[in-house]
Amino acid sequence: MQNKNIRNFSIIAHIDHGKSTIADRLIEYTGTLTQREMEAQVLDNMDLERERGITIKAQTVRLDYKGKDGEMYQLNLIDTPGHVDFTYEVSRSLAACEGALLVVDAAQGVEAQTLANVYMALENDLEIVPVINKIDLPSADPDRVKEEIENSIGLDATDAVLASAKTGIGIEEILDAIVERIPAPEGDENAPLQALIFDSFFDSYKGVIAHVRVKQGKIKKGMRLKMMATGKTFEVTDVGCFKPQPVDVGELNMGEVGFVAGSLKDVRDVRVGDTITFADKPAAEPLPGYRGVTPMVYCGLYPVESSDYDNLKDALEKMQINDAALVFEPETSVALGFGFRCGFLGLLHMDVIQERLEREYHLKLITTAPSVIYHVFKTDGSVLNVSNPAELPPQTEIEHIEEPFVKATVIVPNDFVGAVMEISQDKRGVFKNMDYLDTNRVMITYHIPLNEIIFDYFDRLKSATKGYASLDYELADYQESKLVKVDILLNGDPVDALSTIVHKDRAQSRGRQLASKLKEIIPQQMFEIPIQAAIGSKVIARENVRARRKDVLAKCYGGDISRKRKLLEKQKEGKKRMKAVGSVEVPQEAFMAILKID
Amino acid sequence: MQWGVYIHIPFCRQKCFYCDFPSYAGRENLMEAYVEALCQQIKIQGFSYRQKWGRPATVYIGGGTPTALPLENMAQILQTVENFIGAEIAEFTVECNPGTVDAQYLQMLKANGVNRLSFGVQSFDDGLLRRIGRIHNSAEALEAIRLAQEAGFANISLDLIYGLPEQTMEQLQASVGQALNLGVQHISIYGLQVEEGTVFARQQELGKLDLPAEEEAEAMYDYMTNVLPQHGYLRYEVSNFAQRGYESCHNRSYWHDVPYLGLGAAAHSYLEGKRYAAVADIQEYIAGIKAGDEIWKLEEEPTRQHAMEEFAFLALRTVEGLAARDFAQKFQVSLQEIYGETMAKLAQQGLLQVDDNGCRLTNQGFKYGNVVFAEFILD
Repeated sequence: MQNKNIRNFSIIAHIDHGKSTIADRLIEYTGTLTQREMEAQVLDNMDLERERGITIKAQTVRLDYKGKDGEMYQLNLIDTPGHVDFTYEVSRSLAACEGALLVVDAAQGVEAQTLANVYMALENDLEIVPVINKIDLPSADPDRVKEEIENSIGLDATDAVLASAKTGIGIEEILDAIVERIPAPEGDENAPLQALIFDSFFDSYKGVIAHVRVKQGKIKKGMRLKMMATGKTFEVTDVGCFKPQPVDVGELNMGEVGFVAGSLKDVRDVRVGDTITFADKPAAEPLPGYRGVTPMVYCGLYPVESSDYDNLKDALEKMQINDAALVFEPETSVALGFGFRCGFLGLLHMDVIQERLEREYHLKLITTAPSVIYHVFKTDGSVLNVSNPAELPPQTEIEHIEEPFVKATVIVPNDFVGAVMEISQDKRGVFKNMDYLDTNRVMITYHIPLNEIIFDYFDRLKSATKGYASLDYELADYQESKLVKVDILLNGDPVDALSTIVHKDRAQSRGRQLASKLKEIIPQQMFEIPIQAAIGSKVIARENVRARRKDVLAKCYGGDISRKRKLLEKQKEGKKRMKAVGSVEVPQEAFMAILKID
Repeated sequence: MQWGVYIHIPFCRQKCFYCDFPSYAGRENLMEAYVEALCQQIKIQGFSYRQKWGRPATVYIGGGTPTALPLENMAQILQTVENFIGAEIAEFTVECNPGTVDAQYLQMLKANGVNRLSFGVQSFDDGLLRRIGRIHNSAEALEAIRLAQEAGFANISLDLIYGLPEQTMEQLQASVGQALNLGVQHISIYGLQVEEGTVFARQQELGKLDLPAEEEAEAMYDYMTNVLPQHGYLRYEVSNFAQRGYESCHNRSYWHDVPYLGLGAAAHSYLEGKRYAAVADIQEYIAGIKAGDEIWKLEEEPTRQHAMEEFAFLALRTVEGLAARDFAQKFQVSLQEIYGETMAKLAQQGLLQVDDNGCRLTNQGFKYGNVVFAEFILD
């Protein structure tokens, strides 16, 4: 394929604005798959993704399309993960394209996350093709949405394609717009290879498969190649593209998008954003924009059954094969025993990993409350990075603590501005900016501690704004805060896994709320259990779980032993979901109690 | 060979509000056919085990309300037992509802080899009896027991329930006092448990079930477990108290791995290490027996692990507890090896007394029996 007939593009859209449906229609319309071959949503193929309606791993698909001019075009659709946790991955996918479809719901308008991604696309010099989707809805208002696009992004929306992916309206127009408006890739076919890795996954037969965009040069089977950041070399055994099932094409030329495999065993050797070049005659320099993985959120993962430790380790290792962003290291807790401190890109990433561990590896896990990384400046001049509250040094050794702040962007109808400000203020946010996107919708920016975001910021926003709020955030900086550690004591013994770091001004109330929440969660046992919240040696809150008085002496009817057995098994099963902390049986959810207080 | 027979009578005049046992009210029209089918099962299955193992040590007719059956029907069952399972059974118990027996009925039982009666009294407080759906009042209960004694029964048990809705400590003490005055040989006490599908469960949902506070129910338990032994009723199992020598052999056989044959609908059997349950539906049972179909279902895979667990948690219900020697003899592995860790942990919690002979519940252990038993379920 001549590169003038190649178009590489992404779709930028808010959740539910119809990205997957549009992708499906494009695949269908170009005959890449027949309707019968289409699963409901071809591109989101992980169960979890389908359940949550989000894309976690990016996918690509090559479409062959005969343009209006009668020529055949190769259109490479590079799907992007649709969540704030995966901003960096999105940026690499965008860097592999020359253009993007901006899909906006004709009734709902522009959302915060869409904006963030559009700005990112503009930074990458992408040609943006606005598509207003769902125009068949009775509440559709394409003119208002056009105005929003113009006001918020400064993009000319006159030629926006009006579409309804559901009914098939506008699909051909979208394809023609891609051909006509998105530029063809440019680069030197004969220069040393530079191919951008924008995703990777592990295949048990072929090893790690890298999704790549060839920026210059070409990739052929049998070549010896090298990853410029990790230094890993390999011989190409497979070169192909996705239609959407993998197809062997033998080579990828300048401008093309596809995959490369070559006996790569470890996904960590294949970093998103890295540049692939020749092993012998490498390119002078890598493509710009590579960044190592930086987890934002940490939590402890412990097996309920300590004998499952090795299984958990195996499972994490296996997950890491397919997820270079997951980091973990062994950790010990007095209360929970041996486990792992795991780092994630964000809360969703954390949720997904936990759920997959439980679902796919059948592990019963205890998760400790998520934490950010604190920079602790000690009086002796050293600096510690603390991601586990239990590891915070004693107050006397701390000079000061810095915590990560983010720039949070919230878009809401203007009726809810007050609510957003109230919540943001309550979350220690500092107001930065407010812009009207149109007469009705407002974009508000706050500087706010990440720690507060990972608690219940978005949940609270959602409920205070009847679900209208959309949120995006990016790491801004580290700033000093007055932070203290609140410890929890059960039966007089401190439980390290329940410690939490909070702002000094709300330590008292957090401690009280936490103690009373734990009282609800911890079941009655044979003895009374005092619950205390303390800062250092000062107790700030107390509760008591009363003792369970006795068992019921039920009649064992007519020798029905099986019934008795089932009861005991159920009881034993219930106990298994608890962790013995000292003499107290603590249910799993207790360790997440901090997230459930309001 | 020691073994026992359980016979189930799934009929009641009225279903008590707390009861979720397999018994039915208002099915009198099925009694005749049921007794026919039951007798046929006695003749075939009962007889075949009798041939195999000789006369059983115990027969227990329970329910439901066995004495809800008309006298002739009951007589027919007893005759059939005598002819096909054996006469002069060492312990032959029939459960009685005080509202269903008169002198004639009791004499008939006595004349047909029954030598032990178990009266479901539950309480001697008329208000409470009505509140829990019993068909008798306390005077009738007293009268029934007096008649039983007159008829020559010298081994009588009665059941009491504590923790009933609106029950006070004073009411409980009064009931226990009445029971102690009657000169019965055996008393069973049960804590009320609200089971799914019962009248109480519905009342609870509607917020109309005013149960005593936990502390109050515990005080009742403490009172009963203290006062009964003081009057010569020694505890020999979690809920059973008896004068010396009057422990129920049939009851004990459940806890000590003795096989039993269950006859009738919904009856449970434990034979050659396997546990079975008969169909619970009366009509299905009758039809099944008539057609010669299999009416039993194996309840669980008889694995070695299940056998160990049951051997342990059933034995632990008794005062003598779990004997290391018996366990080792049955499973060819030491109790210590299988349950050493469990026993040590429970001993440390003060729930179990452990020594070379085995282990048994402490007083505290009896109180939290299920906590202990659940620990004996292996992973």
